Amino acid sequence: MTAPKDSAAQAIDDARALLETFLSSGWDEMHVVSGGTEIFLAQPRGGSNPMRMAPPVAAATPLPAVATPVAGPQFEVKAPHVATLVSVLAVGTQVAAGQGIATVRVLDEESELTASAAGTIVAVAAAPGDLLDYAAPVASIVEAA
Amino acid sequence: MAIKRLFVANRGEIALRIVRAAQALNIETVVAVSDADRDTAAARQADRVVVLGPASAAKSYLDPRLIVHAAKESGCDGLHPGYGFLSERAILPRLCAEYGIAFVGPEPDVIDELGDKLRARAMAKAAGVPLVPGSDCVATAADARREGDRIGYPVLLKASAGGGGRGMVIANNGDEAEAGFHRASAEAVAAFGDGTLFMERFVPQARHVEVQLMGDGHGQVIHFGERDCSVQRRYQKLIEEAPCAAMPDHLRAKLHQSAVDLAASVSYRNAGTAEFLFDVQREEFYFIEVNARIQVEHPVSELISGFDLVQEQIRIAGGAPLSVAQADVVLSGHAIECRINAEDVHRDFLPSPGRITRWEPPTGPGIRLDSHMATGAMIPPFYDSMVGKLIVHGTDRLDAIAKLADAIDRFVVAGVPTTLELHRAIIAHPDFVANRIHTRWLEQVFLPGFGRKAA
Repeated sequence: MTAPKDSAAQAIDDARALLETFLSSGWDEMHVVSGGTEIFLAQPRGGSNPMRMAPPVAAATPLPAVATPVAGPQFEVKAPHVATLVSVLAVGTQVAAGQGIATVRVLDEESELTASAAGTIVAVAAAPGDLLDYAAPVASIVEAA
Repeated sequence: MAIKRLFVANRGEIALRIVRAAQALNIETVVAVSDADRDTAAARQADRVVVLGPASAAKSYLDPRLIVHAAKESGCDGLHPGYGFLSERAILPRLCAEYGIAFVGPEPDVIDELGDKLRARAMAKAAGVPLVPGSDCVATAADARREGDRIGYPVLLKASAGGGGRGMVIANNGDEAEAGFHRASAEAVAAFGDGTLFMERFVPQARHVEVQLMGDGHGQVIHFGERDCSVQRRYQKLIEEAPCAAMPDHLRAKLHQSAVDLAASVSYRNAGTAEFLFDVQREEFYFIEVNARIQVEHPVSELISGFDLVQEQIRIAGGAPLSVAQADVVLSGHAIECRINAEDVHRDFLPSPGRITRWEPPTGPGIRLDSHMATGAMIPPFYDSMVGKLIVHGTDRLDAIAKLADAIDRFVVAGVPTTLELHRAIIAHPDFVANRIHTRWLEQVFLPGFGRKAA
């Protein structure tokens, strides 16, 4: 039921959430080591970064490369939070950067999901009326070459 | 109308507890999760999972519009808020009512009234519930002496406009009350621009006692006895017991009646807790506040009463009357709960999120574990650090302590530090065994010695 996200997007979301947690915590510093990721956050009053003091280590495993289709890079428009899909443009529609490609609704309030770059909608992953999970894909767009 | 599909707007052990209670009542469940909680025990156990938003609680568990939208659109006709998060925010039941969802909790207006300290005190006073003896505004040093003599020492002089301990002075006699008036008033002027003071009796060694209540929303309220939650650190409860073994029977009956009267005076609906300060020396109790939700420590009341409080609150939200009469609530034995947090007690209780590599809890008669953890489970760093509650039921307090000690000794957790070791040491302390504890005992008496031994 829940769509897996690519690891790069996941890492960014996690980092953002960590930062929000840190800013609202009143802590002086925060050091998180999880799997291959290590993050250090500090207020000016906090301690020095232990990662800088550590001896140099091998570079972190590079993130998996995103497959690049011939026509140009492809990206997904995803639900920013749980919401019901009201409408979405059809496959084949050409869209401009910043153009609304789908409308979602939370209670009686509607909002638009926009394309971050110009391109063509090549896939639609949800139907009007669907309850979308956070980060669920709505449409895939291939950027104009 | 009885609830058919329940939305669980919480996480952790209480989300799992609610899912299981609903399943026992043949009610379907939809669990709301954040992005960090997709793979949790409650999510796996539920009929359906909805991902509200990113890991940040503000964009998931604390957004009432997202929660009510997800509940409505997933076909739920009931919503359980658990504890913490939005459980005592009137906006959630208001939105639920607007969208035809039964809220497992009190009416929003009742939440607002109980949440306002001054209004709650006025309600308690009107219902005949004892409040901490105190004064109105104190204008002069002579007034302070007169009021102090009347209230009984020690007394606390407090700034009306105050907060955070500024403009607060403790006086042990009339002379100190006069001197304290000048000092507190000057501090209050400096800090708040207003030197108005009032006075309150100061209880140096108080116990925290609370009464478990259940109301049907039509004026019927019953209680399930009291709990003693005096082992606290920074106002956070660590160990809870039922009953309060330090309370004499004649006072216990009065305490229960006060709590029931207060809840009945607002036709309280749902599980609730009336909290009191218990002055052991004077044998008096004073109202603190009402918590309008199920509480973390509800299992100790369930163990001594044999009654499932979460199932009952779901039934009542669906319109059912109380399923038990006060006369049929029979309390027996003694129960103790310890809250297990993923914290490093040797590093000032530093929260220690991470992955649990071994989780082997004890089992046996009289042992209950409320937890969402398992070997391989992840504790995300975004929320509180509680990983579970270990609860035991014994024939009496000493039997319960022995059972808890044995259960902790057999509890194997690896991967993250937990407070189990701390709990083991607390319950072995002579003061705890002899029940000579109070709300400042842990910080003033126990922890300093614990730190030294550990270092």
